[in-house]
Amino acid sequence: MNISSTRYTFIFAAIVCVVSAVLLSVFSEGLRPQKELNEELDVKRNILKAVVLQEPLTPKMKGPEVLKVYNSKIEELVIDKEGNVVAGKTPKQLTEKDKDFYPLYIYKEDGQLLAYAFPIVGQGLWSTLYGYLAVEADATTIRGVTFYKHGETPGLGGEIEKEWFQNNFKGKTIYSVKEHKLTPVVVVKGKAADVVSKDESSYHVDGITAATLTGKGVTEMMDRWVRVYDAYLSKLRKI
Amino acid sequence: MGEALLSSKNQKILKDGFWDTNPITFQILGICSALAVTTQLKAAIVMSLGLTFVTAGSNVVISLIRNFIPPQIRIIVELTVVSALVISIDQLLRAYMFDVSKQLSVFVGLIITNCIVMGRLEAFAMGNPPWKSFLDGLANGAGYSAILIIIGIMREIFGSGTLLGYHVIPASVYAHGYVNNGMMVLAPGAFFLLGIIVWLQRSISGYKES
Repeated sequence: MNISSTRYTFIFAAIVCVVSAVLLSVFSEGLRPQKELNEELDVKRNILKAVVLQEPLTPKMKGPEVLKVYNSKIEELVIDKEGNVVAGKTPKQLTEKDKDFYPLYIYKEDGQLLAYAFPIVGQGLWSTLYGYLAVEADATTIRGVTFYKHGETPGLGGEIEKEWFQNNFKGKTIYSVKEHKLTPVVVVKGKAADVVSKDESSYHVDGITAATLTGKGVTEMMDRWVRVYDAYLSKLRKI
Repeated sequence: MGEALLSSKNQKILKDGFWDTNPITFQILGICSALAVTTQLKAAIVMSLGLTFVTAGSNVVISLIRNFIPPQIRIIVELTVVSALVISIDQLLRAYMFDVSKQLSVFVGLIITNCIVMGRLEAFAMGNPPWKSFLDGLANGAGYSAILIIIGIMREIFGSGTLLGYHVIPASVYAHGYVNNGMMVLAPGAFFLLGIIVWLQRSISGYKES
């Protein structure tokens, strides 16, 4: 057998292609239900983290427990671009085509409304950042934020997934009552206290050293999504 | 073959990959990931495990089919084997070790492009039987891992004051004016460390540039 002949080369290449294609399809398809379950759980876990539960989840909590907490405390809604609730639609039914519909999650504890949460998505330096932003029942104060999926450099832009960075957002306001304008949170370069005046500190947070561009991405996604959801949130503010 | 599993020849393969021809300090391969994933020890460890597994695994597969691979298309065949292996691992991680998979994110894909994997396939697996190739992959992976972990430890301690996420530099030291070294978090910090390690390792092993 001449392994240098053109005929053999073609046959060999074909076999390699078929074997690896079959192998990869089997892995991908066979594991799909498990992967989708993981991703759904991850999303729900992060919504729960963003709204800051009264009794936080522990990292060890298994899937069914997380689902139980989620189902009993989170209400799923869909709003349109005018900020009206769309009856009979759930976030799960939304597809790529539903451009002007947005999912909204409401956190209730014993019937009392505590927070609104919505997804935020934007470009970081290397990757798309995914997260959730939750505001208090006043529709103004940030209750919590999470970034749960990204491909930024660990130790630099990757710090956005860390508690210290996410905690900086808590208590900031996305709306200035005094000036009647939206104030989406801005990530500054360096420490917020050194860069902005005291009045503005209500919507500025510390940046990450050596990750200015990731910070810029976070600022942009905050701005974009706070404006989108303001159609709904503005109706809730009692001013 | 009739050769002991860890005969002196095979021991030499292990020692070569780990020390005498260490992929990073001797062959200067895999520098990109040595800079990119060493800001924190955890990422460095996970990357090390991933690369060791892929190098050893692909070495075995290629070694098994080495006599059937047409020479004209050998590089692309090697690449296909490596990619298929890496993607399968990635899928398994996503299904059964979701947290680890999130931690790894882009690095799993980066293993495919790591020169060490291709380098060992070309230099060793194409001309040696499976068991020897396996040892070679393991040894080179371990050599790579050792350097990555050393750099990861140094960078995390001096750059962030932590190790595996736990604070190791006491607050009292900071109170006396100590600050984290910002350069350690950036790529240049890794370059300097890497340079020092290459120098040290080469002076101990007695390697001379020809």
